[in-house]
Amino acid sequence: MDKQAAVVAVENIHTQFGKQSVHKGISFELGKGSLTAIIGGSGTGKSVLLREIVGLQRPDSGNIRVLGTDIWTDTEASVSAVKKRFGMMFQDGALFSALTVKQNVLVPLVEHAAVPPALLDPLVNLRLSQAGLSVDVGLKMPSQLSGGMRKRAALARALALEPETLFLDEPTSGLDPTTARSFDKLVRSLVDDLGISVLVVTHDLDTLLTVVDRIIVLADGKMLADGPVEDIVKLDHPWIKSYFAIRTMTESANGS
Amino acid sequence: MTLAATSQWWHLHTDNACAVLSLSGHWRLANMAAIDTALGGLACKTPLKLDGSTLDSIDSAGALLLLQALQTRGIALHSVQVEQFAADHKRIVDGVRSRMLEQQNPAPSTSRPWPLRQLATLGRELEEAAGLLHGHLNFLGATLIAFLQLLRHPGRLRHRELTVQFGQICLSALPVVALVTMLIGVTVAYLLGLQAEKYGANIFVIDGVGIGMTREFSPIIVATIVAGRSGAAFTAHLGAMRLTEEIDAIRTLGLSPMQVLVIPRVLALVLALPLLVFVGDVMGIFGAMLVADPLLGLTPATVLNRLHTSLDLGHFWIGFAKAPAFALFIAIIGCRMGMTVERDTRAVGMATTSTVVQGIVSVILLDAAFAIVLQAMGV
Repeated sequence: MDKQAAVVAVENIHTQFGKQSVHKGISFELGKGSLTAIIGGSGTGKSVLLREIVGLQRPDSGNIRVLGTDIWTDTEASVSAVKKRFGMMFQDGALFSALTVKQNVLVPLVEHAAVPPALLDPLVNLRLSQAGLSVDVGLKMPSQLSGGMRKRAALARALALEPETLFLDEPTSGLDPTTARSFDKLVRSLVDDLGISVLVVTHDLDTLLTVVDRIIVLADGKMLADGPVEDIVKLDHPWIKSYFAIRTMTESANGS
Repeated sequence: MTLAATSQWWHLHTDNACAVLSLSGHWRLANMAAIDTALGGLACKTPLKLDGSTLDSIDSAGALLLLQALQTRGIALHSVQVEQFAADHKRIVDGVRSRMLEQQNPAPSTSRPWPLRQLATLGRELEEAAGLLHGHLNFLGATLIAFLQLLRHPGRLRHRELTVQFGQICLSALPVVALVTMLIGVTVAYLLGLQAEKYGANIFVIDGVGIGMTREFSPIIVATIVAGRSGAAFTAHLGAMRLTEEIDAIRTLGLSPMQVLVIPRVLALVLALPLLVFVGDVMGIFGAMLVADPLLGLTPATVLNRLHTSLDLGHFWIGFAKAPAFALFIAIIGCRMGMTVERDTRAVGMATTSTVVQGIVSVILLDAAFAIVLQAMGV
């Protein structure tokens, strides 16, 4: 794959916390319009990797390019320009608690886009609707929202600037199965309908098995496996086998 | 028959009695302002076809801009035909259109006319203030009950928490209390000295500083410092604990947050404040002593001698006795604001600010009440 064409290109990443080595040379590339998941046991540095990709935490060595810009070595101007082209959704939403949901979505629009004032309101409503929220939720404060609604509101804010790439940190954690599945469908529709490339860190087997195109497995600071879901499930590795074992057990119990 | 109209972004012409709006360029969020201006000259009518054969790209913001413009020109969105769009562009336009069609705008909120609205605001604020006061009283009652329970079962006292709190409230406050009260002592002695010197009444400066520091300045100043330091710390800490559900965890473990968190704090503050006031008294007089020698020619020995003979111990005791009362108010306000904070980060900050303001105001109100009552009692 051409380096410039890849949406995200991670090259030989090393990260060290004190004496503990979290990443020992991780490299992968994400193509346009795909939904990729990073999985791995606790402490394998999934979230750290995501934070390094979006520019929140500096890796000890290695290069990370997002939409053709090196997040850690390019000029501040080009990095901040590329930051307007991707969206990040944090695990607990990270909505600004002093602002209503609507104002939260407005923050990136007002700061970074020259939107005609008359169109701000319809645009925010469109974002809320794209995130699966009704318009009246916009008037609420984040503290008044349920967990699922908070995640959707965070998604609406991440979508505000019409990003080309979206990074999601555990989007379905803490949601009930029904809400989680509809969130999965929502993310899938963003990929299919709007052509957004999505990278998701998740533990949710249902997400992995129903909507994800490709899985990257991290273990011991290395990439253990990388490929389409069907192939990963069949791999003969103890950790991967036990990870997917629960699902295989339920399915055989159901006789399917 | 409409005339053909055009701009960089769109081109309108007529085809078989049907208006055709051809789009071109990048209809994206970044170009919204330019496209919006260009759309100003658009006048069209139904039936309308959209032609995307020359369109480079469109995103949902661009689609919204287009459909919004058509809607404001009175064109029913469902009647618009979308033709010759690339498949992904058509999906975006159709997606946005269906969202716009299903979205019901919320009813505009009805606002009351001028005097009524202000009156309603005033009423709400008063109700809030009354609720706050009521809550504090309730909390004071609950604390007293917890304290009585503690008297019946003294074993329940959390010694460790009490010691830790006492250390934080008293020992770490010593430097700032000592410094501030000493400077107040210097200032008072200096100001009184300037006046007293005119009448050759230098020695009475000692009387003034003695009474002033022990009875009023030291308790008020120390209580203000503690309200800012410890009252705020109570609210911030308990508020954060509430945010992370630690207080709920204490409850479900069968413990009482009153016994575990509130009583040690209240008790530590009530014990610590009189001691800090005493330190304040001493440091205030010490400060006065520092300026008395060079300014008024009163040696330290003279100052101490005069204090022994002239300062009625009653003044000291009054100041000393006010301290626990101040402490109780500061601690109750600080703990209650923290325990009842709303569960979001902003609320913790607001509650902490409110604690400091309430603490200082209540200390001064209480001091005024003391002054009036003691005056009436003739003390």
